[in-house]
Amino acid sequence: MKKIVLLNLLFSICFIQGNEVYKFHSLEDEKRFYDLIQEIRCPKCTSGSIASSNAPVSEDLKNKIAELINEGYSDKEIKEYAKARFGNEVLYNPEVNSSTYLLWYGPFIFLFMILTGFFFRRKSQ
Amino acid sequence: MKIFIRLVILIIPIVGFVFFYNLLTEDKFYPGANFDRFNVPVFALDDITSQKIYTKDDLNDELLLNVWASWCITCRVEHGFLMELKQEGFLITGLNYKDESTDANNWLNLYGNPYSFSLHDIKGSLALDMGVTGAPETFLIKNGEVLVHYSGEVNLAVWDNVFYPVIKENKMFR
Amino acid sequence: MIAEVSHFFLVTASGLFLLSFIFSTLTYKTNHNIEILVSRVFSYGSYFVFVSFLIYIWLSIQSDFSIRYIAEHSNKDLAVFYKISSIWSAHEGSMFLWIVFLSLWSQFFNFKLPQADLLKAPSIGILSFIIFGFLIFLLFTSNPYDSLLPIAPANGADINPILQDPALAIHPPFLYLGYVGFVIAFAYNTAFLIKGDLDINWEKIIRPWSLIAWILLTIGITLGSWWAYYELGWGGYWFWDPVENVALMPWMAGTALIHSLYVSSRSNSLRSWTILLSISVFSLSLFGAFIVRSGIIDSVHAFANDPQRGLYLLLFSGILIISSLAFYALRFPKLVSSNLIKPKSKESFLSINNILFVTAIFAVMLGVLYPLIFDFIYEERISVGPPYYNTIIAPIAFLSSIFLVFSVGSSWQRSSKLFFIYSPLSLSILLSIFVACFIAFKLQNFEWWFIGGNFSGFLILIRYLLLVINNISKKMYFNKASAIAHAGLGILLISISINAGLSYEKIINIKAGDSFQDDMYTFNLLDFELINEDNFDSIKAKFLIKSNDASEQVFYMFPEKRKYFIRGQITSESAIQITPFKDIYITLGDQLDNGHWVVNIQYNYFIRWIWISAIIMCLGSLMAIKERSIKK
Repeated sequence: MKKIVLLNLLFSICFIQGNEVYKFHSLEDEKRFYDLIQEIRCPKCTSGSIASSNAPVSEDLKNKIAELINEGYSDKEIKEYAKARFGNEVLYNPEVNSSTYLLWYGPFIFLFMILTGFFFRRKSQ
Repeated sequence: MKIFIRLVILIIPIVGFVFFYNLLTEDKFYPGANFDRFNVPVFALDDITSQKIYTKDDLNDELLLNVWASWCITCRVEHGFLMELKQEGFLITGLNYKDESTDANNWLNLYGNPYSFSLHDIKGSLALDMGVTGAPETFLIKNGEVLVHYSGEVNLAVWDNVFYPVIKENKMFR
Repeated sequence: MIAEVSHFFLVTASGLFLLSFIFSTLTYKTNHNIEILVSRVFSYGSYFVFVSFLIYIWLSIQSDFSIRYIAEHSNKDLAVFYKISSIWSAHEGSMFLWIVFLSLWSQFFNFKLPQADLLKAPSIGILSFIIFGFLIFLLFTSNPYDSLLPIAPANGADINPILQDPALAIHPPFLYLGYVGFVIAFAYNTAFLIKGDLDINWEKIIRPWSLIAWILLTIGITLGSWWAYYELGWGGYWFWDPVENVALMPWMAGTALIHSLYVSSRSNSLRSWTILLSISVFSLSLFGAFIVRSGIIDSVHAFANDPQRGLYLLLFSGILIISSLAFYALRFPKLVSSNLIKPKSKESFLSINNILFVTAIFAVMLGVLYPLIFDFIYEERISVGPPYYNTIIAPIAFLSSIFLVFSVGSSWQRSSKLFFIYSPLSLSILLSIFVACFIAFKLQNFEWWFIGGNFSGFLILIRYLLLVINNISKKMYFNKASAIAHAGLGILLISISINAGLSYEKIINIKAGDSFQDDMYTFNLLDFELINEDNFDSIKAKFLIKSNDASEQVFYMFPEKRKYFIRGQITSESAIQITPFKDIYITLGDQLDNGHWVVNIQYNYFIRWIWISAIIMCLGSLMAIKERSIKK
């Protein structure tokens, strides 16, 4: 038992940090990667991000995204890449544009309307 | 004010009901069909017989590009129909997806070869660039532009409803 | 043969429920005998349902494969536990379970509610109508008794191995018990609205039923989340998947309901809100059942179904919801209380939180329906996922925590000063800001939701701590149930924030004999073991892990990859090591060409605390049932 532990200690000294599958130039890039793969939907699965899926196409996309990050593409460009190939639905964070105003601002408008009604009613009585 | 609230409370579920009723009763078209057009990306791949490297320019002006693999069971089901299409004179080129060339060639020898040639996309890089998520998938391409991208098995019903109208409209395969 | 007996019992039950409903419509003649008849006939109806289901369970255990549903979802070689749980693994059987639970809850209610209660007959009548409608749906469109005779297969189908899991087996029963439990409040309140007699104290009646239903629903959702975490291999516990969301919405409405009930049972205000919430909770459950079973939304979870079933469910749910709301609209002017809610009173803060909860429900509903609406209008697809929900729900959660804490020191039906210097509220706010900032600096995470989540969570905990200290020293009464339940909420907020802010993963490639080291641990991949079981082959990786700090803890972890013979399905069994503040989570990926393996190592912080806090909230609610509500 002690011998195995010792051997492993020796091994660990030799093989530190060499074996990350996705290698990046900086820690920020690595963080960008892990954040991005949460936001991109697996094109093949009924539900789930590519981070949570090990379908072949998810694996390929992850590799491609790592490549693109290392080649200097921005987050926006990478999302465009995925969107161009797999459609709008592959992005889990719907963009804020004229067709999604209802989605993003709806809850706040709703809250505002009800609060107004609530306070207005109190005032009028 | 009170009347307004009562109306809203009633109208919301009624609108919801009508909306869902519409959704449930609409005709379900073919969900695997995608008619968004895009240009075939640039590529350089050899074919499964390793005879030469093919690029985008080597593709015919009008073709069907069929994504297949020896490990893909549905492809075996689709194969018969592809052979029929070949008989009728439609040009089909293969995109062999994540497959060993020996396995691919053996499969074609065993079942028959409907393809003019098959690109060997062992890493799936061209497939990824074209939005492929698995096999079988089929593209209808004219002059380097994808007109139809179908995910799933192509059979007579799919051909008649999805591909043929586009072929006719674009006067292809005359 | 026996299957047909069971089938017959269900048909009989349907007839009895129909009869009970018809009798209930005749009670306007105030004939006491008819009222007793409503109750009796209902009881017999429910007994027939129970016996029918028990027989069905027996048939499943006996592996009667002449029944198509049992043949499709069960197998001779399954353990008895899974033979039983296979009953609710798909549409027909789970619908059957839904009906059984509807009958169970309603019969309990029928039994416990005194015959003298003015609303008994109409509410039992409504319940019988609901159960009758679902029974017709079951028997005509989703019959669990469809037969394969004259040829019964020798063995059943091969089961998805993912479904053979204890947590997944009991998650639906708890969930359904919760969903369905709110039917009591729905029926009783609708009866109240139909009858129109404002003096009836319905709050007192529906309170314990709603609390128990809430506890069961919370447990059901927590079980689902826990199962998803350890089984699905991605280390997350909530995905805002449409099917998770349709379970969350009744839960949020239920939470708002039990708080609104608390207010209406003490003062005359918020009555109209409480009734509306009461109708909404069960309506949202119906909506959930419809979404999951109609096939309208694509989701990992949805039972594959056809639009025909969806149409029936839509129609039936529509009838129930719209008629109930119609009565609400009718009585609304009389319901709205003349009492003014005083600013900065307890009622005012609870009202604001009611409004916030309803907004949250609206937001989730919007997120679930938006892809459908978008497709309908623009004919284009769009996905709404965690980024949307997290952005909208987090601020709402923080705001409601603040109002919750305001409510702690406040009083019923009068304003109170809350913000004077040295008040417990000011003190809590200051301390929480300090703690939240401290944590942000210590862990170097300054995201708005990280600080906000920690601030809200500690605000609740600190405020209640001050309350407990103050009242215990002065030997004053305080609401222990509320303190415990809300402390649970505080812990939940903190745990979610820290889990989101701190957790991370690393994807590495490694081969046997290699090791990988990060700042906390050294992972040594010793070797692989090949295992052959009855229904699967597996390759098991043996990791020896050593912590790099002075404690030098050593432990083993064994992530596995399994291939099940019959379906050829490959699953990944993650290895989890639980430590007090984090989980180490290892998943085996694919093997690369060079013989190396892809391994995913995750550190999931505070994840156990998320489920622990859910249990604490349930404990608090359990205590709340014992609390006697002050009579009006």
